[in-house]
Amino acid sequence: MAIERVSPGVVRVVPNKLSVSERMYIPQVLAGMVLTLRHLVKNLFNMKGLPTISYPEVKRVYSERFRGRHILTTREDGTTRCVACYMCSTACPAECIKIEAGEDERTREKFPQRYEIDLLRCIFCGYCVDACPEDAIYMTRDYEMAIDTRARSVVGLRDLVVPPNFPVEPMGWRPYYGSIDKHGTAGGTGIGQPKREAPFADDAPLNPDLYRGA
Amino acid sequence: MSTLTKFSAIPYTGPAPTNRNPYIPSDVAVHDARGAALAEKLQHAAMQQETGQDLPTFIVEKSAIVNVLTVLRDHPELRFTMPLDCWGVDYPRREKRFDVLYQLYSLQNNERVRLKVMVGEDESIDSGINVFKGLDWFEREVWDMFGIRFDGHPNLRRILTHEAFQGHPLRKDYDPAQRWLLTEKDVAQLTPVIDDRFKDVDTDFERVTLNLGPSHPATHGTLRIVVTLDGETIIGADQEIGYLHRCFEKMSETHTYQQVIPFTDRLNYCSAIINNVGYCLTVEKLLGIEAPARAQHVRLMLSEFMRIADHLVCIGTNLVDMGALTNFWYLFQPREEIYGLIEACCGARLLPSYLRIGGLAVDVPTDFLQNAQRLVDMIPKYIDDVEKLVDRNKVFLDRVVGVAPISPEDAIAYGFTGPCLRACGVPFDVRKSNPYIGYETYDFDVPIAEGGDTYARYLVRMEEMRQSLRILQQAIDRGLPEGPVMVDNPYVALPPKEKVYNEMESLIYHFKLIMHGIQPPVGEAYFQVEGGNGELGFHVVSDGTKNPYRVRVRPPCFAIYQAFGKMITGQTIPDAVAALGSLNIIAGELDH
Amino acid sequence: MPVKETSFPDSIIRRKAGVGPGEGPEKGLITLPGESDREVADLGSSTYLTTTVDTMVNWARGNSLWPLPFGTACCAIEFMSMVSSHYDIARFGAEVVRFSPRQADLMIVAGTIVDKMAPVLKKIYEQMPEPRYVLAMGACATSGGFYRAYHVVQGIDEIVPVDIWVPGCPPTPEGLMYGILKLKEKIERGEIKR
Repeated sequence: MAIERVSPGVVRVVPNKLSVSERMYIPQVLAGMVLTLRHLVKNLFNMKGLPTISYPEVKRVYSERFRGRHILTTREDGTTRCVACYMCSTACPAECIKIEAGEDERTREKFPQRYEIDLLRCIFCGYCVDACPEDAIYMTRDYEMAIDTRARSVVGLRDLVVPPNFPVEPMGWRPYYGSIDKHGTAGGTGIGQPKREAPFADDAPLNPDLYRGA
Repeated sequence: MSTLTKFSAIPYTGPAPTNRNPYIPSDVAVHDARGAALAEKLQHAAMQQETGQDLPTFIVEKSAIVNVLTVLRDHPELRFTMPLDCWGVDYPRREKRFDVLYQLYSLQNNERVRLKVMVGEDESIDSGINVFKGLDWFEREVWDMFGIRFDGHPNLRRILTHEAFQGHPLRKDYDPAQRWLLTEKDVAQLTPVIDDRFKDVDTDFERVTLNLGPSHPATHGTLRIVVTLDGETIIGADQEIGYLHRCFEKMSETHTYQQVIPFTDRLNYCSAIINNVGYCLTVEKLLGIEAPARAQHVRLMLSEFMRIADHLVCIGTNLVDMGALTNFWYLFQPREEIYGLIEACCGARLLPSYLRIGGLAVDVPTDFLQNAQRLVDMIPKYIDDVEKLVDRNKVFLDRVVGVAPISPEDAIAYGFTGPCLRACGVPFDVRKSNPYIGYETYDFDVPIAEGGDTYARYLVRMEEMRQSLRILQQAIDRGLPEGPVMVDNPYVALPPKEKVYNEMESLIYHFKLIMHGIQPPVGEAYFQVEGGNGELGFHVVSDGTKNPYRVRVRPPCFAIYQAFGKMITGQTIPDAVAALGSLNIIAGELDH
Repeated sequence: MPVKETSFPDSIIRRKAGVGPGEGPEKGLITLPGESDREVADLGSSTYLTTTVDTMVNWARGNSLWPLPFGTACCAIEFMSMVSSHYDIARFGAEVVRFSPRQADLMIVAGTIVDKMAPVLKKIYEQMPEPRYVLAMGACATSGGFYRAYHVVQGIDEIVPVDIWVPGCPPTPEGLMYGILKLKEKIERGEIKR
């Protein structure tokens, strides 16, 4: 195609005039074939440069901002950081987070007794992470979440809370990218809450669709 | 499920909105002066200027609307020939309950005008379909959503919802979660879309009615066309839409301003960031703020990448429809790389939700410019490959040249914008006519072509990708401006996390913003951007609360697709398939 | 055509507030009547030969899934990504994308299904030959996602039985592939019988 200027800022695209040979179908079809063959030969001699990712064996490395499945982080002593302030469930456009708050008798601190995310409703927008004032909810780079039955799609504290030594490195969407010291006690201390370790020894079995070991 | 409680049927009790907004900063005086000049020229008794708006606005008496539309169209100095949009707003506490709004555009003067007509609940309004052909579907949509009748409309049926639907969902007293089921029994009872309109047409062969879609490979999933054939020639076609009506506008009213951003992603899902840009700029206009230079620069770059991705998908699938599968593989490779860049910025590939009102969610990664440069160097190779494959190929040309043409006059009257209008030879591009986020500082050309057929649309899209690459190269050369990516305004932007964790004041702002949302002042604003398919406009009405009172999206596909039946009349079915692909109808945007 | 108010009183069922979608009185109406038949009782008396043949048949079915992409919205674009060169579903024998339901055995519902589309989806499902599998891809198809709205089906299990659910909005192509692989395993183990 040729380009011809009409006025400042406007160009006209003029179609090609076909030559006699081009009008005879076959030469252009062959030329196209040559182009695709060239790609084929180039790829044959450069198998490593192929764009295809052999998925179950090779996994694509997504960025450190990837928005995958959620986790709830823990303090050093194993209690969940979440203080059940309902920020995430308020910010969630899909309303897929359900929280029931409990209160500790001695410290009057809130903590989540139930914390459920409906993964099928979730649209993975990351608003919950942005809304959390406690650094308590992160998104991982885990995207392998196919679920067998709809009942299993709701994940609770059981599947969300990770142990304190959980490898944070392959983590996805977080409120910040780098280390940051959290001093001050705006978020409570965690004294008096049940210590949480995952996998929990006493609870129901883990959700087999999601939990494949930390 | 107790989570549905939010949507229980509560009658609207909020404050009665007024139409005054003293906060719109941009050129209120300019627009008022323009409106006054217009009124001076027109001297129309039924038009009363409304000042303080972001566009020249007139309140028109209901009985005179057809006359006003005609005068505006035919006035030799004004020539408002393009009907951009027609939509409604519901104010249940007002005496005359509904506003019907029109927006017209004058190509000659690059000027917009907004008309407002107040309509009571039991009243009807005259249809403007004889003045502007393009008002056809827009009026049907207003009828469907608000129940305002248009007298003289020849085909006032429901358009987005199904025929068993009861009530009008965008009225304020309609429960957002109230569904009406369409069963197969109902479908069988429904009258066919096409009636005996073609009974008297002279046919050479037997007349056959053929249904294409909604689940048909050529209709990309959700479009339905019912064609009447004379032998192989199409003598009439009706398009049925609404198979992906996801209630964007009603959902916006039940969510906060920031929460609407993921919904806008899903309008034109091939170029999600452009939708984000359009919506965020509209709300920023309403708020009277402007995002920092760095954020605007990133918005511009990602918009252009998204435009390229949009055109890649359009051309790729269009060629697949015509049997040229190889191009699809070639074109999807750079597209995948573009999604890689988006994912590195915000963690999602297709629907990023990257923008926030007031800026960006997070800053771009440090290697953003290098990656962008790598893409800009890489993409032309793939475009050239496709061009070599099809551009001089007689098989391809025979399928596209002269197929489904539309004249420039018709295109304007139907409200075409974007590549489909430029393929008719009309150089209208929002980036040139109403520049935003700094497009006026870039050197690029608007490509046009002659003929308005499928081939012209292909040519324009190919050249537009090259122009986008030109803009991107300039943007990379300039480098990212230093500074923040979010406005420094605690009523709009979440405070940085370090402060939230450690300072009481920031924590309070954080809580306030999440719980009460952004609360723009009472008023309304319209803003338009150049989407992948044309002018994508958002009209946001605020009543001062955390939820938008009304969000209207002006989807470019909607205007384009209503002309499709006329465009393919006289052609054959394979031509219709090729033409449909070249229009790039994105169902998410079409049905909003 | 004159304006005509349509009314089909039979089809209108007001959903009560607080009752989940698909749980109210509309439940039996558009859900497939034979859904409970999915749990075929174990015959118990199968011989060695039939079980071996079953295993072989299941293996063959799992490795030659022919997908029917019922793509309506955004997820369909990611489905295209999965088919194209970066992910290449041909590696699992599922590249034969058929748009005719009569030639496919795996329906991938990619995108929002709205009430207007629901009868179409059901009709297409019924046209597929047995055995047929359904994969619900993305938030909208699985549960309606964040569209708790007046025109959106709140999960396609209101209409057709679903074998595997893939969360995400949209899921990454790998996520979808993981779902297909998981379905393949289920078929090969013989868990889905119909």
